[in-house]
Amino acid sequence: MPEIRVTPLGAGQDVGRSCILVSIAGKNVMLDCGMHMGFNDDRRFPDFSYITQNGRLTDFLDCVIISHFHLDHCGALPYFSEMVGYDGPIYMTHPTQAICPILLEDYRKIAVDKKGEANFFTSQMIKDCMKKVVAVHLHQTVQVDDELEIKAYYAGHVLGAAMFQIKVGSESVVYTGDYNMTPDRHLGAAWIDKCRPNLLITESTYATTIRDSKRCRERDFLKKVHETVERGGKVLIPVFALGRAQELCILLETFWERMNLKVPIYFSTGLTEKANHYYKLFITWTNQKIRKTFVQRNMFEFKHIKAFDRAFADNPGPMVVFATPGMLHAGQSLQIFRKWAGNEKNMVIMPGYCVQGTVGHKILSGQRKLEMEGRQVLEVKMQVEYMSFSAHADAKGIMQLVGQAEPERVLLVHGEAKKMEFLRQKIEQEFRVSCYMPANGETVTLPTSPSIPVGISLGLLKREMAQGLLPEAKKPRLLHGTLVMKDSSFRLVSSEQALKELGLAEHQLRFTCRVHLQDTRKEQETALRVYSHLKSTLKDHCVQHLPDGSVTVESILIQAAAHSEDPGTKVLLVSWTYQDEELGSFLTALLKKGLPQAPS
Amino acid sequence: MDPAEDWLVESLRLYQDFHAFDLSGATRVLEWIGDKGVFVAGYESLKKNEILHLILPLRLSVKENQGLFPERDFKVRHGGFSDGSVFDLKLLVTSGLPGCYLRVWQFAEDSDVIKPVSTIAVPEKQGNFWPRVAVFSSVAPGVLHGSRLSDLKIVDLESQKVMYSSGISDSEELSSLQVLDADIFAFCCTSGHLGIVDTRQKWAPLENISPNLGSGGERWCAEVRGMGQGPGSCIASLGSEGQLRLLDTRDLCHPISSVQCPVSTPSPNPELLRVSWAPGLDNCLAISGFDGTVQVYDVTSWDGMGIQVEPLFTHRGHIFLNENKMDTAPQVTTHTWHPCKPRTLLSAASDASLHVWDWVDLRASC
Repeated sequence: MPEIRVTPLGAGQDVGRSCILVSIAGKNVMLDCGMHMGFNDDRRFPDFSYITQNGRLTDFLDCVIISHFHLDHCGALPYFSEMVGYDGPIYMTHPTQAICPILLEDYRKIAVDKKGEANFFTSQMIKDCMKKVVAVHLHQTVQVDDELEIKAYYAGHVLGAAMFQIKVGSESVVYTGDYNMTPDRHLGAAWIDKCRPNLLITESTYATTIRDSKRCRERDFLKKVHETVERGGKVLIPVFALGRAQELCILLETFWERMNLKVPIYFSTGLTEKANHYYKLFITWTNQKIRKTFVQRNMFEFKHIKAFDRAFADNPGPMVVFATPGMLHAGQSLQIFRKWAGNEKNMVIMPGYCVQGTVGHKILSGQRKLEMEGRQVLEVKMQVEYMSFSAHADAKGIMQLVGQAEPERVLLVHGEAKKMEFLRQKIEQEFRVSCYMPANGETVTLPTSPSIPVGISLGLLKREMAQGLLPEAKKPRLLHGTLVMKDSSFRLVSSEQALKELGLAEHQLRFTCRVHLQDTRKEQETALRVYSHLKSTLKDHCVQHLPDGSVTVESILIQAAAHSEDPGTKVLLVSWTYQDEELGSFLTALLKKGLPQAPS
Repeated sequence: MDPAEDWLVESLRLYQDFHAFDLSGATRVLEWIGDKGVFVAGYESLKKNEILHLILPLRLSVKENQGLFPERDFKVRHGGFSDGSVFDLKLLVTSGLPGCYLRVWQFAEDSDVIKPVSTIAVPEKQGNFWPRVAVFSSVAPGVLHGSRLSDLKIVDLESQKVMYSSGISDSEELSSLQVLDADIFAFCCTSGHLGIVDTRQKWAPLENISPNLGSGGERWCAEVRGMGQGPGSCIASLGSEGQLRLLDTRDLCHPISSVQCPVSTPSPNPELLRVSWAPGLDNCLAISGFDGTVQVYDVTSWDGMGIQVEPLFTHRGHIFLNENKMDTAPQVTTHTWHPCKPRTLLSAASDASLHVWDWVDLRASC
């Protein structure tokens, strides 16, 4: 039975550790390979032992696809490929390929250097893992092998994020990864064509929310920054090199310009060059607005934002500084934090999730006294603000995407079934599609009815058309032919052609039936009686009396013979071919009833 | 710089906090459940409308360390489907068109679905009339409903028995019903006729009957402050021509004051008129239903008739953030005050937007 099987891996319902196994028409694909940031032990990795108890992963999996560079989608990749063992291809978009190793290395440093973890992947493993990566372009159909092909679609969310279509023959699955249906300042909105996959797999972490508008989040950010600098305070914004930083810079630049503000804004050294480099490289991944202005001037060369120098941190007066790294775990951002933490006029704005163990995580948990190196205690008096700018699809966004792709069925992962019954009903009602919500570790099996294309020979088609009736779009027509299967192709041809191609001779089946009649006259006269009778009875058929005495009805032959033992009985031999079975049977029955009395 | 951006920059000064949401369908109801959740419901005709139980973002409920709560989204805690439009919702009964029955709903036990459990028949059969609803929540909850004075009834929710009926023949159309305490409710007719009814007696309301009522084709709605008793208990009554009257519940025939609000009149859809008292502020109320704004007034020094007043605050978010989704300017369909946060309101508009806003009192010093 052709079917598609989907298993989200990992245990627990938390966000993170995205990893989905899909079996489609005999091919096995792993979608994403994420890390769960909340755990420190093996629970942070998906349970790969589920995939195959014995046997190598490389043999079992046809490919791995990574949707974007967030660690909850790619964080376990080096562990999976180098420590568990996988040598097959790993597909991702070009920006993801460029940015992934940076984040993985950052994460590795925190885990090993800061937290002293032992069983963790090494820098070399990250490099070896990335060697297995095959980068893809948007809307490019990539042949993984003869049968399996994949295609990436724009997902918004972060630079390089993609939704993937996986296709084998006429069966297909679309996996969304994380996506966003509303454009923002530097990325566009997700888009997919009406590809009508058998199944659409979408993340449903935010499915039961109604998201506050992007503008209001930005407003909140501006308000906090503005209020702090108005009262003479300093604002520290720890960021990663890429992603959120650029968006926030554009926002502040626009605001500063509009309000004619003079307070200095600084960008950590190295951030600008790296960011510019990547954004220039991947300009096609940004939104229309940025691309347009990029032609006139470099969008990331700001008027009001300057490069930072460590000495500036001691300058009096208000300022805003974007500094790396993002979780305040080391480097420049931590240095600045230590200088500014003691003043309640200052503020630190954390724009993203912080891993356990980092200073960022601690202050976001409400800790106000931190133990630093050398047993020094740092009292945190500055304001701590946690802001979420991540762009995810909410219930409305999911409905929009389902409407665009028109899948046969929808599968929601990372949600709790009980809390999403309403959404399931909504999707089923609005789109008339079935909606599934497997728990992690649970397999959903979906039967499919694949369509098999069959070529029809022109001769056969012409012959059918010649029979007069025009084909009607809504009425099925019965067609007789022979289905010939050769290699992987199917053809419908006429029987004669099939016999010819196969070198077979057509067999003829002939039936002969004996009907006994009481008639004392000679055979010839009996035959004549039969002829007259049939001629007058079967007005629609061609009845003939042949010179040798036999009678034909269409192609059926009737001959009269004398009975070998009884001269008063005549035997009628009625014979027909298999094609004339119906008429033959009818004639036989008719003749058995007897002949009318012959006129003298 | 587009007007929306301009307004957002202005808003930094005008609002302490501001959230804007896009519902899948516009709502005319905003009904609190506790102080952390609200109900909204769609009102499109001829289609299945959603009834949603939304939980406010956590940061609006916490007292300290608000900054550490990054989530700014509504959570859809429960949802259900209604076959017709929903114009009124009180826990947990809905009323809308077609108007010949009320629907009673319940949360499903083991999922997030709101399902209909029963209907309450209603005498009104014709046209566009639909019953207003109020709920007496007590040990045995009762539903007060009616579209006219003559068909006002209280029905026991469980047994569906009629516990009280007005029993009068006056067929004046009702515009609002409000339960004040276990035995007392207030009504307001579209003509401006107000009354406070004690259900322990046969129909004998404290009311205002005056020859001016009903003239001019104006349409009125009203809200009683607090429980309708005790000192300072006051009714605010709003008319579709922008007139706002304040009345003492002890003397409904003589309003304390009457003002003309600076709004574009007449209201394009007087059914949407709404006036509400601020639970957390002295002498403040809000009005909506004339256009895409919500106006807040301080009525402290209002004394006398026909005085001109200015709003303390006007919320224009629905107009500026409309983003050209609609050809016509959106109209505010309803608003409500947050039960605990003194200056926080929720407002909904015809473009399916839902705002939660905390306005800054510019008179007060920071």
